[in-house]
Amino acid sequence: MAARGASRRRLTQSQAAFVLLLPFLATYALFLVYPFFRGIWISLHDWNLLAVAFNPDAKEYVGLRNYERVMWGRNITWGALASPALQIIGVIGIAASIFLRRMGRVSKVTAIALGVASVLLFVLPGFHPGEGGRWYDRRFWPTVGNTLVFVAWTVPGVTIAALLLAAALNRETKAMTVYRTLFFLSQILSVTVVTLIWQIMFSPRQGLIANITETFGGSPIVWLTDERFAMAAIVITTIWWSLGIAMILFLAGLQDISKDLYEAAALDNATGPKAFWYITLPNLKRTITLVIVLQVILQFQVFGQAHLMTLGGPNDTTQVLVRYIYQTAFRDSELGRASAMAMFLFVIMGAFSILQFVVGREDVK
Amino acid sequence: MNRGYYWLIIGLAIPAFLWLVPTLWMVSLSFQPNEVLARTTSTTLFGLIPIPFTADNYAALFSFGQTPMWFLNSLIVAVGMTLGVLAVSTTAGYALARLDFPFKNAITVICLIGLMVPEQAVFIPLYTMFADFGWHNSYHALILPRMAVPIGVFLMMQFFKAIPQDIEEAARLDGVTWLQIFWYVMLPLARPAMMTLAILTFLYAWNDYLWPLVSAQRQEFFTITLGLASIQSNFAQSEGLGRVMASGVIASLPVVVMFLIFQRYVVQAMTVGGSKG
Repeated sequence: MAARGASRRRLTQSQAAFVLLLPFLATYALFLVYPFFRGIWISLHDWNLLAVAFNPDAKEYVGLRNYERVMWGRNITWGALASPALQIIGVIGIAASIFLRRMGRVSKVTAIALGVASVLLFVLPGFHPGEGGRWYDRRFWPTVGNTLVFVAWTVPGVTIAALLLAAALNRETKAMTVYRTLFFLSQILSVTVVTLIWQIMFSPRQGLIANITETFGGSPIVWLTDERFAMAAIVITTIWWSLGIAMILFLAGLQDISKDLYEAAALDNATGPKAFWYITLPNLKRTITLVIVLQVILQFQVFGQAHLMTLGGPNDTTQVLVRYIYQTAFRDSELGRASAMAMFLFVIMGAFSILQFVVGREDVK
Repeated sequence: MNRGYYWLIIGLAIPAFLWLVPTLWMVSLSFQPNEVLARTTSTTLFGLIPIPFTADNYAALFSFGQTPMWFLNSLIVAVGMTLGVLAVSTTAGYALARLDFPFKNAITVICLIGLMVPEQAVFIPLYTMFADFGWHNSYHALILPRMAVPIGVFLMMQFFKAIPQDIEEAARLDGVTWLQIFWYVMLPLARPAMMTLAILTFLYAWNDYLWPLVSAQRQEFFTITLGLASIQSNFAQSEGLGRVMASGVIASLPVVVMFLIFQRYVVQAMTVGGSKG
């Protein structure tokens, strides 16, 4: 009571909260919320970077035209077997998600996520230009495809390698700590250092890989300018770069598995690979899902590796979505179209963030 | 310790060495003369051992060229961003975790929903905004956008929530104000979390590429990460391979040293950053 009486100048709890929240809310509103909505607004305009810079009125409202110009085309039709491989995988995925859920092998969330992804995989590749038709933007969907190929190689690569390493390094000894440090070290380098190293590693004339193959009589591969190897080179670089976080997350997950389980299994003669298969893997399901979702979010936004090592080439084989957005905006000055693509990216990333949130929540329970 | 364990150590030595080779090679090349490297990069043991040895590349780096300026820019941006993020995140995190105020739940959700927005989805509108303000090519243009990212608020909020309630109540009974509690009681307790957040932010600032690439067009405002990108495309002709590699080593030195000293915090920071940011 004394405190309250003496403090007319003191802030109430709400006022204090307001004062403390203000700095963050101000920067947040100005540099994240406002730009986000402004991005949507730009995507609805025909907006040339240079023209608008000189004359702010040089933009024109075009509604959803930018989205159409990026993602649609003339005479687009849909066929159940337009790209059979992907669509059949989609159908199998739909069947698998229903089956696994019925059997009670997976949780509801996993089943729904798998189901939605499979339906999309069945529906989306079915669209294709019909007779005399074409995509308005011939490069957009191939670019999305390249990004997906990159994700499809990197994410399993990182996940499997990190899981095996974590299982091997899961002991609190000096030697294991040193190994962990070594494997984690590449993770903290910047993308420009990583690409600098690997650009020269892959160089056919000066590269370490070429030097070694030549010693053994092989002819060097022109990694970064050969259509068959450019994507592989970027994938190898990325796996080397981003293994660390995944390994650490797995090590944390392994700590939570009770030692008793392994002791009980040892009594049944399940050690080594057997214990890994029957005890480690089932108990790490959550962590594995989390790592995969995180890696998808991270790798889908790949930019520096493609931008610095291959310039998206050769022949657009390593052109990825963020690089295409960057080029459309800052080389072609087409901010409207680039913003429409950025919104496309946001929707995909948003879906995965929600998935990450849901998986994280399940973790807490 | 059984025999299996020793075999494991020996077996892991091979992948660990392979993992280290690219980094070792960069360091080794940076200590070899440019004239030799122009001929072959494979002098001693595939170039992994720097013989013939020279430190000229580093001397050249600091006597002329722009690397020292870029290095300084990176330091200014990274320290500025770290202090800024710490300031807005600790205050907001404390308010959201411990204080009661109208619309608290709604404000919390609004603050954290921004975690869903990737940098790549807002860099174009941010570019036009900063262009309108005439802010490009400045330190604040490189620092401010990251201060708006809610990861720090989330981290600090989680931390403050875990502190027992009675600490505050005792202080309130003594007539201490909320802001004093925040400053004298909560902040000292929050040091480990602040350390994690500081390292996360510093690493991000030091290694960020996309936003500096868009915002800093003049070389005077390049960060070292951006500067390195600008010289690596034509390394062989103009600068000499050894010198470019020396720049790469210098660019990595602060984060590697930080990693080796504060390993526990770095790992924690990257885990948090990776799983929420």
